[in-house]
Amino acid sequence: MRWRRLIIAVHRDVGYLVAGLTVMYAVSGVAVNHVADWNPNYIIETVEHQVGDIAEGSTSGMTSSVLERLGIRDEPTSAIRMGPGELRIFFEGRTLKVTLPGGRVLDETVRRRPVLFELNFLHLNHGKGSWTAVADVYALALLTLALTGIFIIPGRKGLGGRGRWLLLAGVLLPVVYLLVAT
Amino acid sequence: MNPRRHVALSLLVLALAWSTAVLAADATRYGAGVDLEKATPLTDLLSHPERYDGKAVRVDGVITAVCKKRGCWIQVSDPDTGKGIRIKVEDGVIVFPMESMGHRASAQGTFEIVHLSPEQMKAMAEHRAEEHKGEHGTEKEACQAEPVANTVLLIRGTGAVIY
Repeated sequence: MRWRRLIIAVHRDVGYLVAGLTVMYAVSGVAVNHVADWNPNYIIETVEHQVGDIAEGSTSGMTSSVLERLGIRDEPTSAIRMGPGELRIFFEGRTLKVTLPGGRVLDETVRRRPVLFELNFLHLNHGKGSWTAVADVYALALLTLALTGIFIIPGRKGLGGRGRWLLLAGVLLPVVYLLVAT
Repeated sequence: MNPRRHVALSLLVLALAWSTAVLAADATRYGAGVDLEKATPLTDLLSHPERYDGKAVRVDGVITAVCKKRGCWIQVSDPDTGKGIRIKVEDGVIVFPMESMGHRASAQGTFEIVHLSPEQMKAMAEHRAEEHKGEHGTEKEACQAEPVANTVLLIRGTGAVIY
């Protein structure tokens, strides 16, 4: 049948077109789905140091003392006394939280997870703007794939047979979940 | 020139121009940005919160904390006193990057005095303990939630500019 040929052609070409995006969204989807258990965007590492008591003084003076004792020569982005008990020193992607007195330092470094950060950025549309249009077109493409996919195979393996039951199962899955969970 | 090479070169030039523009930008706008001309001093806001409850305010300061997992809030602190306020934004609408820690920022939104129920206080204490997990050395210590006050001051953020 001519219309089935057309459906197969559309399904095939749209499928090729969005295969890359689908992999991207799927990988990111699993990553952000488990955000309660891990940080899908950043690798955050904390190391503890002891620098001993730091003499009271200006924020810049105390900062210099801490950096000297830790052998850090980089210029901090900023440094702030968070109160009488804490000095916080910031670098790009690194924060030193110094407990006063005592000189306990929590050295926290932050790195973006390679590839996954970018995938999540696109998937969650953090950039907004033109990517919103791309995501909308992608959603329409998925809709096209779903609708054409239903009619690709005729007969017992298609809607006339087990395809019908699989389709029904797929529709019922969220319905049953909603009935149970809400 | 080979048309393919021409396209490739054009794309390369565009990419370079874009990356240069991004690197050259000294301020990044988030959400609606900031349009109030005058900033409310953080010390004033925190000392007399009742004066500002429900009002649109802008605060200037240094970012001393960022929501680690969702980027859904930043803490903007006064560089002189260290006292600060949390700017809470709608999840996913504005996302603050972890790299903004230590950078100067202006943020704007509606100031709110939030009164917490005992259940909310417990939930917030547990959430904070989770956020600071590992900072006190052991899992056991991190799970011991510190009590929080029954009143929280925050700004429902609509925008920010980070320098």
